[in-house]
Amino acid sequence: MNRSYFSFLNRIIVCGPTALAFIVIPLSVSAQDVNSTSSDYVSRAEYDKLKAEHEAMKQELEALKATVRQMATAPSPGAAPAQPAVPAEGPSENKQVVTTTSTVDELRQEVDALKLQIKETFPGTTKFLLAGYGTAAFTARSGEDPFFDAAFNALFLWKLTDRLFFEGEMELEFEDEATDLNLEVAQASYLLNDYMTIGLGRFLNPMNFFVERQHMNWVNKLPDKPLAVYDGIFPESEMGAQLRGVIPIGPTKLEYAAFVANAPGLITESDDVSEIGMLDFDNDANFGGHVAVGGHVGFIPIPEVEVGYGIQRSKVGPRDQAVENILQSVDVNYVRDATWLKGLINLRAEWGWSHVDHFVYDADGSQGFGPLSFNNNRNGGYAQIAYRPTHLDNDIVRNLEGVFRYDRINQMHTPVGFDEQRWTFGLNYWVTPSAVLKLAYEVDDKNGGARDQNAFMMQAAVGF
Amino acid sequence: MTKILTRICKWIGVPGAIIVVSCGGLTWLIGCASNKPSGEVSAGAAHPEKSGAQLWAENCVRCHNIRSPGSLSPAQWEVAMMHMRVRANLTPEEHKKILEFLKSGG
Repeated sequence: MNRSYFSFLNRIIVCGPTALAFIVIPLSVSAQDVNSTSSDYVSRAEYDKLKAEHEAMKQELEALKATVRQMATAPSPGAAPAQPAVPAEGPSENKQVVTTTSTVDELRQEVDALKLQIKETFPGTTKFLLAGYGTAAFTARSGEDPFFDAAFNALFLWKLTDRLFFEGEMELEFEDEATDLNLEVAQASYLLNDYMTIGLGRFLNPMNFFVERQHMNWVNKLPDKPLAVYDGIFPESEMGAQLRGVIPIGPTKLEYAAFVANAPGLITESDDVSEIGMLDFDNDANFGGHVAVGGHVGFIPIPEVEVGYGIQRSKVGPRDQAVENILQSVDVNYVRDATWLKGLINLRAEWGWSHVDHFVYDADGSQGFGPLSFNNNRNGGYAQIAYRPTHLDNDIVRNLEGVFRYDRINQMHTPVGFDEQRWTFGLNYWVTPSAVLKLAYEVDDKNGGARDQNAFMMQAAVGF
Repeated sequence: MTKILTRICKWIGVPGAIIVVSCGGLTWLIGCASNKPSGEVSAGAAHPEKSGAQLWAENCVRCHNIRSPGSLSPAQWEVAMMHMRVRANLTPEEHKKILEFLKSGG
């Protein structure tokens, strides 16, 4: 019995797991089949959910299309983007709306950029810029009637290609109870290469740093301009051709300009004898037929410092009696905005020399003052310091700027008959970086018996 | 040849001749050597480490107050900067970096 019992038990032990295996394995296989079957067939609930998602996506796509169409036909790039008509029904829908909005924003930016690119290809629209400056002034000079004055300089700039550029400047000002219109600049420039530009037409005198870079009323620190270098012994503009550019030498720069232009005239006849021997810089018709050659070299050893030298040489006077004329200038500029200075300091100086060879004026005495000859050498210039406490916290104080200038012209031995020197003290208030109110008092000193003319000046200048 | 050179020098003056010949020749050589279209930065640029903002501050203030990048549109800055490149003798690198800075709105 025991043996049969153990035999039965043994069969159970051996067959049990086997039977269990036969039972469990098909069941497990069956279970896997059931699971796999569930991925092939969608339940009604799953179908409804998928259909709802599909419908929502279709609505979003339609909304996107409508937005893009609206942007394409929008009147201005600044118009607000249309919102997609997707109902926010829950957190997932909100997320989708946010994603859609950001996508629309990106699309809008791309469309705006493309619009701008297309617009920039139109000549004469975005490649044109009207700049310039306007001035209103009041001057009370001893010995003269006080007067108000106004002027407007329009600067027309065209970038025709990446290499071709045109600039024109017109000045409108009141003079002798009439409005004067002057063409200051009319120059076409072509970039020959990275370091050389050729300019043709009427351009600001490159040999005169003040004229080329500082004479604009919103740039010039005082209401009037320095003796000698402006409306004095140098021309303000030249009519001809110039070659200019810059050569980087390590961390320094060498600027250069070379030009050929109409030569100035020599005043040999005038009702005002003091003008005899002066140069006529409005010699646009080039009477005498002479050509002036000149240039300027500027060196910038560090960004704050620039030193330069300019020269112009030509024959002047009647063709058969032409004499030599040499104009030279030296300029130094230091501009530093530093924390230890608590502001911006601006130091500038320029000195110029004019030499005209020996000439006999009114040789036959027919004009009533000759024969007259004299040492026709003149020189003069200015030194100026300006300081503005740009690093102070007070808005009013940091917009104030103090200026002092000393300027001088020496022409005692010419028919003018006197030297003149001036000390000018100024206080400016900068309303914006290109709009300034200027107050100044000028102490004048002339020798040779000429009358000193101190002056009080006010000026408002706006650059745009 | 010597006679022609002497006549030219006599006509324009020795200082003028030196300025024209030396600056023109040197610049032409550098320009030909670089042989890049205008606007590209040259290999031998003077300020490879300086940003557009730095160059904007350094170059503009040498003549006038610096104006806000937002005072003109990007398209207007392109024209204004071309004007300044010629007037203020900016290098191509300075021109490119300052223009990028101004067009980005600062």
